[in-house]
Amino acid sequence: MIVHEWLFLTIAPCDAAEPWQLGFQDAATPMMQGITDLHHDIFFFLILILVFVLWMLVRALWHFDYKKHPIPQRIVHGTTIEILRTILPSIILMFIAIPSFALLYSMDEVVVDPAITIKAIGHQWYRTYEYSDYNSSDEQSLTFDSYMITEDDLELGQSRLLEVDNRVVLPANTHLRMIVTSADVPHSWAVPSSGVKCHAVPGRSNQTSISVQREGVYYGQCSRFCGTNHASMPIVVEAVSMKDYGSWVQNFE
Amino acid sequence: MAAGGDQEEKTLTLAQQWALKEIEEQAAKTEPPVQATEDVKPANSDSVEVVAEKTEEISATEEAIPATEEAIPATEEATPATEEAPPTAEEATPATEEALPTAEETPPAIVDSNPVTEEATPATEDATPAVEEVSEDASEERSGEEVVSEESGIKIETAPADFRFPTTNQTRHCFTRYVEYHRCTAAKGEGASECDKFAKYYRALCPGEWVDRWNEQRENGTFPGPL
Ligand SMILES: [Cu+2]
Repeated sequence: MIVHEWLFLTIAPCDAAEPWQLGFQDAATPMMQGITDLHHDIFFFLILILVFVLWMLVRALWHFDYKKHPIPQRIVHGTTIEILRTILPSIILMFIAIPSFALLYSMDEVVVDPAITIKAIGHQWYRTYEYSDYNSSDEQSLTFDSYMITEDDLELGQSRLLEVDNRVVLPANTHLRMIVTSADVPHSWAVPSSGVKCHAVPGRSNQTSISVQREGVYYGQCSRFCGTNHASMPIVVEAVSMKDYGSWVQNFE
Repeated sequence: MAAGGDQEEKTLTLAQQWALKEIEEQAAKTEPPVQATEDVKPANSDSVEVVAEKTEEISATEEAIPATEEAIPATEEATPATEEAPPTAEEATPATEEALPTAEETPPAIVDSNPVTEEATPATEDATPAVEEVSEDASEERSGEEVVSEESGIKIETAPADFRFPTTNQTRHCFTRYVEYHRCTAAKGEGASECDKFAKYYRALCPGEWVDRWNEQRENGTFPGPL
């Protein structure tokens, strides 16, 4: 197992960060799929450019050394090549910008009316979740705190600094609105698999919409430095079927 | 990006996306199909359908783009003003027409157009009784029973997307819904059933702590909003 880890071959049992992970976590939302695809598309051209630049560099070093060309050429500028090497990169940048902006704005957009609103409120150093769609008064009927499980209390198979006592339960394949805010200092609600990273700012409520495409457990961490225990306020999202979500809501406390 | 819903959305032009009247109208109008089908199909396929319908219908009513800026009390009285609606293609247009005479602002600047639509729709329904698709109010009441799907056993319903607040920052969305609720109860009396939806919306959108603080401020008479 340790050998495998060193060979970057670990397969985590859940959607959490793996030891020595280099790539993305598996996408669970269309948003994350878009991010991953964009990254891969750009990386393809990035590698092409890298190879081209390295090839020119190495070639120049190889061919123009002091033994072969004892008297250096005294060219200080060439208009044509300067125009080309300015225009071409800017065209490439523009071509990268097109899908990039398309993705950015599609992530902001609220396409349909959400089915459920979940509020994630950051505290030093835990999170509170409020499901207020089922309230009949200003009394909160379904709200709970989510604390990290400390190292001493971990059970076999649980991830250190990632597991919490109360997970965010939400239905898969449903449009959800996350309202993210904070009660003290800025925090951030980030779940890599869902492609969401939303700052939790006191006095302001930020909205992000997610639609988890498959049932599973997704792990995330606070992504805005918020004090001593910044590392100890992870996020665990459990996406279940609509039926299970219904019974979870009905059986809450 | 990969979802069908996004693809459909892409086909809208910017002008269409900003055409608030239409979108709200369509949202209100297409709500019944969503809730009706929710019982049978997975939620995802619904949304695709809804967006598809939206796209069609928006292009149908495209010419009615200008919208209004109106204070809430004004709209509450303005409800029965739908008569002069010309008989156009869809039943969505009458309510939009009602908004047209006062049109001065560009769509993004809308402040309180949503109440206009919501208040106006029942009137539309009266005017055209033959319409099979019902207004938002009626659908909401109906959804009371229907949305309780066998699948989840609970009522799946929350504050709709509000095109007055299209950004990530929803602070004012929550605040506005809270104010709307209390202005509604001030106008229609405590516990009026028309106001229940606003209560539902602000409870969905506002963190409990904020609501508690505002309730306290209202009691002390220090609430900063226009009540
Ligand atoms: Cu934090």
